[in-house]
Amino acid sequence: MRIDHTHRKWFIVSLVILAVAVIAYIPYRQWYPQGVGGGTAMGLIYGSVGFAFMIFAGLLGARKKVPIWRVGRAQTWMRGHIWLGLLSFPLILLHGGFKFGFGLTHWLMWIFLLVFISGIFGAVLQHYMPKTIKERIPMETIYEQIGRVRGQLVDEANNLVEQACATLTGNLSDASVEQRAAAAGAGTMGGITVATGLQIDEDSCGEMRGFFQNKLKPFLEGYGARRQPIANRDTAKSMFDQLRLLLPSNLHPTVEDLESICEEKRELDQQTLYHRILHGWLLVHIPLSYAVLVLGAIHAIKALAY
Amino acid sequence: MSPDASAAKPTPQGQVSLTIDGKPVIVPQGTTIFDAARLNGIPIPTLCHQQNENPVGVCRVCVVDVGGRVYAASCIRQVDPNMVVKTNTQPLEDVRKTLLELLMADHPSPCTRQKHSGDCELERLAADAHIDHIPFAKRTTPRGHDDSSLSIAVDHEACILCDRCIRGCDYIRNNWVLARRGKGYQAGISFDLNDPMGDSSCVSCGECMVSCPTGALTNKAIVGQKLEGEAVNTDFLLELPVFKNVSGNFLSLNRHAIVERRFKAGDIICREGEFGYSAFYILEGTVDIYLSTPMAHVKTQDASEGWMQKLRSFLTPRSNQPGHEHHGRTSIPIDANVDLPLDKPIAQLGAGELFGEMTCMSYYPRSATVRAKTDCVMLEMLRNVLDIMQRNKSFREQLERTYKQRALDSHLKSVPVLASLTPEFIAHLKERVELIRYLPGQIICQQGDPADGFYLVRLGFVKVSQHHPGGEVVLAYLAKGSYFGEMAFLLNSPRMATCTALDHVEVVRIPGDDFRLMLEQFPDIRQKLEAVAHEHIESNRQRMALVESVPVEQFLNQGLMEAQSLLVLDLDRCTRCDQCVRACADAHDGVTRLVRDGLRFDKYLVATSCRSCRDPLCMVGCPVGSIRRRNSLEIVIEDWCIGCGQCANNCPYGNINMHPFPVQIEDSEHPGRMIATTKPKATGCDLCTDHAEPSCVYACPHDAAHRVNPPIFFAELLKQGTPATQGAPVEGRD
Repeated sequence: MRIDHTHRKWFIVSLVILAVAVIAYIPYRQWYPQGVGGGTAMGLIYGSVGFAFMIFAGLLGARKKVPIWRVGRAQTWMRGHIWLGLLSFPLILLHGGFKFGFGLTHWLMWIFLLVFISGIFGAVLQHYMPKTIKERIPMETIYEQIGRVRGQLVDEANNLVEQACATLTGNLSDASVEQRAAAAGAGTMGGITVATGLQIDEDSCGEMRGFFQNKLKPFLEGYGARRQPIANRDTAKSMFDQLRLLLPSNLHPTVEDLESICEEKRELDQQTLYHRILHGWLLVHIPLSYAVLVLGAIHAIKALAY
Repeated sequence: MSPDASAAKPTPQGQVSLTIDGKPVIVPQGTTIFDAARLNGIPIPTLCHQQNENPVGVCRVCVVDVGGRVYAASCIRQVDPNMVVKTNTQPLEDVRKTLLELLMADHPSPCTRQKHSGDCELERLAADAHIDHIPFAKRTTPRGHDDSSLSIAVDHEACILCDRCIRGCDYIRNNWVLARRGKGYQAGISFDLNDPMGDSSCVSCGECMVSCPTGALTNKAIVGQKLEGEAVNTDFLLELPVFKNVSGNFLSLNRHAIVERRFKAGDIICREGEFGYSAFYILEGTVDIYLSTPMAHVKTQDASEGWMQKLRSFLTPRSNQPGHEHHGRTSIPIDANVDLPLDKPIAQLGAGELFGEMTCMSYYPRSATVRAKTDCVMLEMLRNVLDIMQRNKSFREQLERTYKQRALDSHLKSVPVLASLTPEFIAHLKERVELIRYLPGQIICQQGDPADGFYLVRLGFVKVSQHHPGGEVVLAYLAKGSYFGEMAFLLNSPRMATCTALDHVEVVRIPGDDFRLMLEQFPDIRQKLEAVAHEHIESNRQRMALVESVPVEQFLNQGLMEAQSLLVLDLDRCTRCDQCVRACADAHDGVTRLVRDGLRFDKYLVATSCRSCRDPLCMVGCPVGSIRRRNSLEIVIEDWCIGCGQCANNCPYGNINMHPFPVQIEDSEHPGRMIATTKPKATGCDLCTDHAEPSCVYACPHDAAHRVNPPIFFAELLKQGTPATQGAPVEGRD
């Protein structure tokens, strides 16, 4: 969620709660010179409020499971999740007197710290990444469809190559012996006839197919495929320039089409990467959050009972 | 008789004697060489000339040697006394061969006629002249085809500009439709002012087609669809009243376009939703015409009862406002002379009735299932025959009579604002109304014209548009059962809009005097019509205000201007979590109506979800009128959708999808037994109007999804040409 001026109310309320808690802590700390703890009345208040905020933050997951239930707009729940979740950590610190304790409490605090940090990291990602994706991936597609789109790109490139070869073969069969001789006399480069004028060359077809099978297809088929030289934009440009030299000028638009297919594939890879970054942190945040809630409940029961 | 003997004999007054290929002949003065030779059994090849037409001498294939400096075209050169004519010398053969080679270079070989019947005159002459190689370059500029006529296919490529069709149309039939167009390589035949043949004033008499020596004008029966069934004898057809005055020659040419079909009681004749191309005329027997698709919405998940369902119902309250609005219909319009009652959608048709007109004429899907109630005999026909029937006066009279007897009553009553008409007044109207047919593109009434009548749509679709200095603005598409033309009477003004036939349209016209009488006698109808008229005026005013205020090209190109309610996703905020899609699926029994993909406009993604367009093209072509717009602007698909997919095909934005729907249908192999299968039904976004806010928007945790009115929402962006500030565009939210 983008954190902007629309969060002002939540920010102010959170700040007020935090200020009240901190201000209350000062005389409380004075009252117990030997050191404050969670077992005191104030400590219990801090702990209860902090844990309540944690539970509320945790309920966002449940809220998302029932998106059409009219129990408050999802964005309100999300704002609550962010700000109350953020607030819960200082409250819990105040609850424990800035100590991590021993045993279960110690582990609980460390896990909670990880949840807190991963949450902030996630909030930062969600603030910046959507805009980055929008700007860097103009041809963004639905993430789940990327595999399918990749397959379509392979088919599209294959069709382009086959069509180009068909054009070359067609020209060749139509050409007379004299025409072929004239074309062959036009010059050669790298052992392949430079096909100007008549634009015929048998080897061009093989060259294109070879380029597709050996260089283009492996890159288009796999995610990332960074080891492929064509994955690099600059290397790819020189490879396509070289291919252009070997092909008649009427096939240059086909080469441009293949180039744009490569570019699209690069974008798909980039989108995949961004998507994984944007959602990957949840793999840490969510399980640890559940762990904190469970351990927090155990901690509360244990502390109150004993 | 020897030439000498002939010369010795005096020639009678008014006669001319000459010699053709050494044969002395005497013919009346003024006779052409061609006719003189023909009368004496001497064949001269020709292409541009035939006996029943005036000769023009354009093809020059009939050239003969008359001893002059140049060869003469025998079809136009009249005989002279003592003329010596040679028709088959080697130099003449060479000249004809060159002419034929030149014509063949301009002719697709084999042409349609040659392919199907082997009687292309040009190709036959070329074969006779042993032309197997054309030494001249082929034409490179295409001249095109014209398939707009229902009965005649025009292949301009095969035209040799002999003008036989023009003379047939103009001088034999006196229709004056055909003429020449263009010059040089662009020369060709044209209909009226170079209109497509189907849009011209051509009456499909077939004279041009009969006159054409090549495949340039051919009977469509040989290039169209094939029908199964017994071929019908032309004499039998001509005895039927509905074919009275139809050309026997034409029916004979189209013998494959009309067949007799026999069905046993219980046989299915056609099924709803299928695409067809023929109409049926019942000769004997009765049929049931009905909808077999159950009336229901698409559900892909069981709506299980129990405490979970109750909790869900409690937590997803649905209000009756603003969107829950009844359609107000009592009947379902179908492609026949009857409407089906909404509560029990079944009716009967008997001998002398026609069904499937819209399918046949405009290729709309079948609107209903037809089953033989008794043993039936019917004529199944293609468009060219139906077109001829509909131009036939006696058939029109019968159609009009049947319509007034059977359907006018229910048609009038099916229009909610006219529901209170009394039987006496309807009886009065039966004597007064007329059925009028319009071709696609034809104007029914023009903006600014005085009001002369009130119209009910019986068949087809009518486009209502207004002309403004900036161009034409489409106000509505009217389907069968809709009406127009009332505003001018209510406001005592000229016509406020132009109504144009989108396809083959038939309207019921109530003359102006009778409509005024109706308004006087039924004040409640006047009141209802006035209320509707005011709604239309207000919505048109708003529409025009928007048209004038939004000039941005991209905005228009993406069709955003047409939208009234867009689902936009702010891509700076959207984390691609797909909660909106899940919410949509949850709100619609597991079938999502939105896809998080689509056009981008600045930082917004316009999701693939119904836009409630101002120009709702999806509504054009629904054979049963089940897609409509509610007053609260959203497009809704009613339960009697037959799943033909026409609306999904028509939506330019791909926002209507077809989803399978489980049904029980009768097993065609085992009558009486039901089998489980699926039928598709159209689904589109209904804006969750039963809820206060669309579910997709409500469920978005990132404040990225908004339902907006585009011109208002994008106003800042359009004015400044810069992105709107974050979080700012809230004014246009619906």
